[in-house]
Amino acid sequence: MRRHLTILGLLGAAVLVWAGCERSSAPKDTAGGGGSAVKSIKVVIADYSKDHTKPFWQALSDDYTKRTGVKVELQVVDWNSIDQQVTTMIQNNQPPDVLNLNSFSSYAKDGLLYAADEVLSAKTRDDFLPSFAQGGEFRGKQYGFPILASARAFFYNKTLFAKAGIAEPPRTWNDFVKTAQKIRALGGGTIGYALPLGPEEAQAEWEIWMWNNGGDWKSGEQWTINGDRNVQTLQFLADLANRHRVTQINPGKTNRTDGAFQLFKDGKVGMVIGFSPLAAQLDKEGTVEYGVTAMPTNIDAPVTLGVEDYLMAFKKTGNQGAVKQFLDLYYEPDNITRWITAEGFLPVTKSGVDRMSGNAKLRPYLDALPKARLAPTTDPVWDKVKLDVQQTIGLAVQPGGNPKRVLDDLQKRAEAAAAERR
Amino acid sequence: MTRRPGAWQTLLWLGPSLILILGVVIYPVFALVRASWSRYSITGVYEGAVGLSNYVRLLQQDALPRVVVNTLVWVTMVVGVTIVISLAFAQLLDASFPGRRVVRWFVIVPWAASLIMTSKLFVWIYDYYFGILNHVLTTLHVIAEPVDWLGNDATVMGAMIAVGVFVSLPFTSYVFLAGLQAIPGDVYEAARIDGASAWRTYVAVTLPLLAPALVVATVLNLIYVFNSFPIVWTLNDRNPGFGHDTMITYMYKIAFKSALRDIGLAAALGVVNVALILVAVVGYLRTVRWREADA
Repeated sequence: MRRHLTILGLLGAAVLVWAGCERSSAPKDTAGGGGSAVKSIKVVIADYSKDHTKPFWQALSDDYTKRTGVKVELQVVDWNSIDQQVTTMIQNNQPPDVLNLNSFSSYAKDGLLYAADEVLSAKTRDDFLPSFAQGGEFRGKQYGFPILASARAFFYNKTLFAKAGIAEPPRTWNDFVKTAQKIRALGGGTIGYALPLGPEEAQAEWEIWMWNNGGDWKSGEQWTINGDRNVQTLQFLADLANRHRVTQINPGKTNRTDGAFQLFKDGKVGMVIGFSPLAAQLDKEGTVEYGVTAMPTNIDAPVTLGVEDYLMAFKKTGNQGAVKQFLDLYYEPDNITRWITAEGFLPVTKSGVDRMSGNAKLRPYLDALPKARLAPTTDPVWDKVKLDVQQTIGLAVQPGGNPKRVLDDLQKRAEAAAAERR
Repeated sequence: MTRRPGAWQTLLWLGPSLILILGVVIYPVFALVRASWSRYSITGVYEGAVGLSNYVRLLQQDALPRVVVNTLVWVTMVVGVTIVISLAFAQLLDASFPGRRVVRWFVIVPWAASLIMTSKLFVWIYDYYFGILNHVLTTLHVIAEPVDWLGNDATVMGAMIAVGVFVSLPFTSYVFLAGLQAIPGDVYEAARIDGASAWRTYVAVTLPLLAPALVVATVLNLIYVFNSFPIVWTLNDRNPGFGHDTMITYMYKIAFKSALRDIGLAAALGVVNVALILVAVVGYLRTVRWREADA
């Protein structure tokens, strides 16, 4: 026993000494365009659907290799683990050349990315819809290139509405509560509104309600998470759960995909906030008759959430030309439109809007798009605030939760993160 | 003509395994320790060494006491209950009855299935609206109202422990079964001649002779269960905050899923985890005096 302990101790000591002696990792490569051209590039894409993502990007990569002779190492990564995998790549000094993610500003802030004018042709840059080009800006320069967009919309179950004698989907919050109560009164475990404030996507659910009460994340450069309107909004959501009891059980602990959407697909739920992939699933299963409309709102006009996902290009020696060719190939109108159409998302380019505006199924989302608001993804602090909201806001709508305290804490930590970043 | 092999020859033969051990055991430990005294930006860019400050910050985390208590409950309950049930199970599998071979095969199934798959399956079994557990229990009038097993703070840990026990049973039962079969028949004969009751025989003969198997099963389960990630992660993924995390899932959340997004801090917890499980195992072996149990 004693000898084993001694050996273990020695081994431990050796590891510590070794770790201590090791020089810190080699200096980062920030040279960018210089050096000889690369023979291959690494492209990391998030998996939007099993049917379309990998086939499209594989075909695009093959086409690219045929044209340029540069090989593509393509990785299609699950959303659940993409943050972890990308962080690990960068930590090990092996960043991708092209990356697809839902955030970009932290990477821009760390000086890892090419700006748009370095890796996109003027034609491609001019084709971006202006709001999405701005959504990719960090300190006045564009680093995040829109890859696709989506918009949330308000889904309702027509069968349950008819049973409860509701003629129109609700337009105001008062109507919304009454409608939800009528659906719950149908009995048999029907749920008025499915509210997913669990960690998966809580920030999206929250900001849609927040905006429809006139609140916001920030005012100018200041975070305003605990503003009066926001406290009122969160109290409203908590009341839905605990006072009116029109939501599913434990909304603060319900995720979107396997919680709220699943219940709606099962026909148990009157209303839910969804997006086009949910519509595609509902159409495929064909069991729920649903309508799609604008959010009920507590202000003049309904607001919805637009989501912009990004492509970004990492600075590495000799990769600028290869990356530019790859990105310009993706942004050729035929290519980008083919993919966005297949995935059921929304266009981010002017040419894409022209080509897709005839699609009747996309109508409600395309109509909502001009009025849609984006999360503050241009601020690197958002990358932390988002995770913080995901891990905490659900607690506010649980029995005994304290909406004001939860928002105060979020505000405090957002301010601290902002101060640290300066 | 026999001669002792020279140092070179020895190295040649040992080389491949040494390289393997260096690559998959020693290097990760080294990388972990180095990361634990480094600072990284949210994107993973190395920002320099910070000494022990990650360890100091770790101790200041509000969630830490809760997580430590959770870990203690998780490990002791899963390992304890697994061992008690497995002892009974092994006894059953050791008895001869028709179809024993089939039963032995079935016991392996939860072991062969992937942990993520098993966990996902239990997520649906426990589901408030669709789950079969609530359906069965309300039909049998065991409970009057359905229970949100994974959303109710009072039941999440118990639900996770049940799954932990379920997947640990096969391995543990087989270790005990092997132990039982190693016990010679004549000691039971002697006990019978002395007129010992079945229970007395079990306590005075079987259990002491099972001691080596017990030690092995406990140590390996301690390590497996402490390090178990998929069960807690999958069954607890709907719950905000850190109220039901163990030190392993907490480490992952610190690195990737919370506002901290801090690899250095997570690495510090990783080092603490390794140290803790080493201390626990060595402490356990000391108390049971491994040498004597081995003899």
